[in-house]
Amino acid sequence: MWLFILTLAIIFIATILAFVIVRVGPMNDGHWPPPDAPPLPKALLFSTLILIISDATMHVARVAARRGERSTAAWMGVTLACAFAFVATQMLAWSEAARANMIVTEDLYAWTFYVLTALHAAHVIGGIIPMAVVTARAAGGRYGPGRDDGVAYCAMYWHFLDIVWLALYATLWWGSQRW
Amino acid sequence: MTTLDASRPTHLNIEASSDNYLTHTRGLLSWAFTLDHKRIGVMYMFAILGSFFVGGVFALLVRTKLLFPDAVNWMTAEQYNQAFTLHGAVMVFLVIVPSIPAALGNFILPIMLGAKDVAFPRLNLASFWLWIFGAIFVVISLLAGSFDTGWTFYTPYSTRTTLGGVVWVITGVFILGFSSIFTGMNFIVTIHKLRPPGMTWFRMPLFLWALYSTALIQVLATPVLAITLALVAIERVFHIGVFDPAMGGDPVLFQHFFWFYSHPAVYIMILPGMGIISEIIAVHSHRHIFGYRFIAFSSIAIAFFSFLVWGHHMFVSGQSGLMGAVFSLITFSVAIPSAIKVFNWLATLYKGSISLNTPMLYGLAFLFLFTIGGLTGLHLGTLNTDIHLHDTYFVVAHFHYVMMGSALIAMVGGLHHWWPKMFGRMYSEALGKLGCVLVFVGFNVTFFTQFMLGSHGMPRRYYLYQPEFQIYHVISTCGSYIMALGFIITGICLLKSLFSGKPAPANPWGGRSLEWQCPSPPPHDNFPTTPRVGDCYDFSIVRWDDSAGGYVVDRSLDPELNPNAPKRAGAHH
Ligand SMILES: [Cu+2]
Repeated sequence: MWLFILTLAIIFIATILAFVIVRVGPMNDGHWPPPDAPPLPKALLFSTLILIISDATMHVARVAARRGERSTAAWMGVTLACAFAFVATQMLAWSEAARANMIVTEDLYAWTFYVLTALHAAHVIGGIIPMAVVTARAAGGRYGPGRDDGVAYCAMYWHFLDIVWLALYATLWWGSQRW
Repeated sequence: MTTLDASRPTHLNIEASSDNYLTHTRGLLSWAFTLDHKRIGVMYMFAILGSFFVGGVFALLVRTKLLFPDAVNWMTAEQYNQAFTLHGAVMVFLVIVPSIPAALGNFILPIMLGAKDVAFPRLNLASFWLWIFGAIFVVISLLAGSFDTGWTFYTPYSTRTTLGGVVWVITGVFILGFSSIFTGMNFIVTIHKLRPPGMTWFRMPLFLWALYSTALIQVLATPVLAITLALVAIERVFHIGVFDPAMGGDPVLFQHFFWFYSHPAVYIMILPGMGIISEIIAVHSHRHIFGYRFIAFSSIAIAFFSFLVWGHHMFVSGQSGLMGAVFSLITFSVAIPSAIKVFNWLATLYKGSISLNTPMLYGLAFLFLFTIGGLTGLHLGTLNTDIHLHDTYFVVAHFHYVMMGSALIAMVGGLHHWWPKMFGRMYSEALGKLGCVLVFVGFNVTFFTQFMLGSHGMPRRYYLYQPEFQIYHVISTCGSYIMALGFIITGICLLKSLFSGKPAPANPWGGRSLEWQCPSPPPHDNFPTTPRVGDCYDFSIVRWDDSAGGYVVDRSLDPELNPNAPKRAGAHH
């Protein structure tokens, strides 16, 4: 599992690196951010908040699973709901950006916004499927002390996506500022 | 110790064990959904050899065109661009990168560990099917209009070319990348968790050290290729992206990312080859491998350095002089672990009782070709000579010596080494050796000429050229025909053995590691119980046994496996 997360981490690190290099690189003579660039959508603040809350509920589920408590399934369910809410909020952010004239084929500033958020959202959606499976299994009383691998792996993956999102958000914000 | 080899006539008839992995279950579906690492390895092998044939045909088309300096009516310049691109892309992504780990590694690694399978058999099957899907996408790209970007997909050309196959092939390579990552993860976990009792890290066969280092690179470098290609594909769809200079993007960034994967990828290709050579040389000279720890550590050292040298592909891309010098210096440091390996192999050969079997011939061919390939790499890693040699045929010759002359020759050598184990049949030594000699001669005729071409200034990838270069091109093309003949004979030799080959003993060459201590072909579960192991290069307990028709490893003589074993003089420890 660590290997898997390491692989994904390299993907995100490379993407952020590409963003930074293009942002400050020699090719960028005033192209970016474009003079009339809109600020980042406000909805991102909400989605960040949702993700942090889901991270906490995921942690509670993990602890509950280790102790073999019945509440594991409930906490997993809350996390799952948060995950859906996060994806929905990201879509809101996209439509907000589109209304503010951020058009993906127009300039690199808009392009990176959509590509980076989409890359992260794809990994969130990819995580929802195994999380749903684990939630169902938890409801069936599958996990207990010493046999909580499924919940543990979900938690690792979720913490990872949370950290990645914070890094991405910071990068996007930094990219949207005029220095 | 006897130096006879198993191809000597024996009056004994060895009956192939009736229940083995080939006969365990029957039917096409029992193969398509098998979780048996041996079957997955065999399927990989035939798929990869099929791709090798396709890539080879494109190579012959390119070489045949180059017989003439002018345009030829049967191949336009556009078709020529597509042919060399396809040759490169197929050979790199479908053949050489997966060849040794996915085909031979899958088959041999768990058996060498005395395990029943890899750690995650389902993931292993998924890797195989990802490979198949990747290959399907490459085929679709041909139908969708092909591509002519060169196998490197350099931007901005790859984002601008009008041919319709680019996004398809990029998707294909993206999928193949994940196939490679999953194989790597599987091997790392398998080696960590499933080593048998007695096999400490420094008791592992060197092939496993090589696969382990390779797996590390696969897991760490391939994601960068994946995201880079994804960004190129997105850029082609939206006509804007981070590699597009018109919008403030940086096309050289692509080169950095691409080579951050593709230089380590060279070691994904060569490291497992080196592992095979360590096995072949030790087994066929019946001598304890010299400098075990040096060879093991040099694999790890090569894997580590491989991440720090990508800039040597970009000396003329406008990177700063200081960066060029730093990359050049680090590149030289890769020569040290490589040379350590070569010296240790030579030291193993020295005073060994060498059996010149077909695998050993390939091993010796490797030593010769890898030395040339490695040493010419120094010319290219040196800043000032590279500026002259960059993008000439010298580069083409160099990387063919390394990727084909070394990695692929090692793969074919390993194929011959483990073929009796995989299928329980011996091939004809005479045909095998003839194939090997033809490939070796043809290879050198083809590519040594290209060193001369390149140093005289012939650029790579050109459709037309000055008539003064023609003689070299004609010689080179003749060499490629000899090589093709050699591969055809090799193919016939191996295929023929499946139908009329003599049944193979469990241990035809005098091997010592675990795969030679189970029947050929191995049973479904490899070993009934996980065996204990001692020093896997201690050949003093391997002896010829007429009743077995091959060698046997006499475990009762190993003091580590049997406390009552008699003390022997001259045993290596
Ligand atoms: Cu390189």
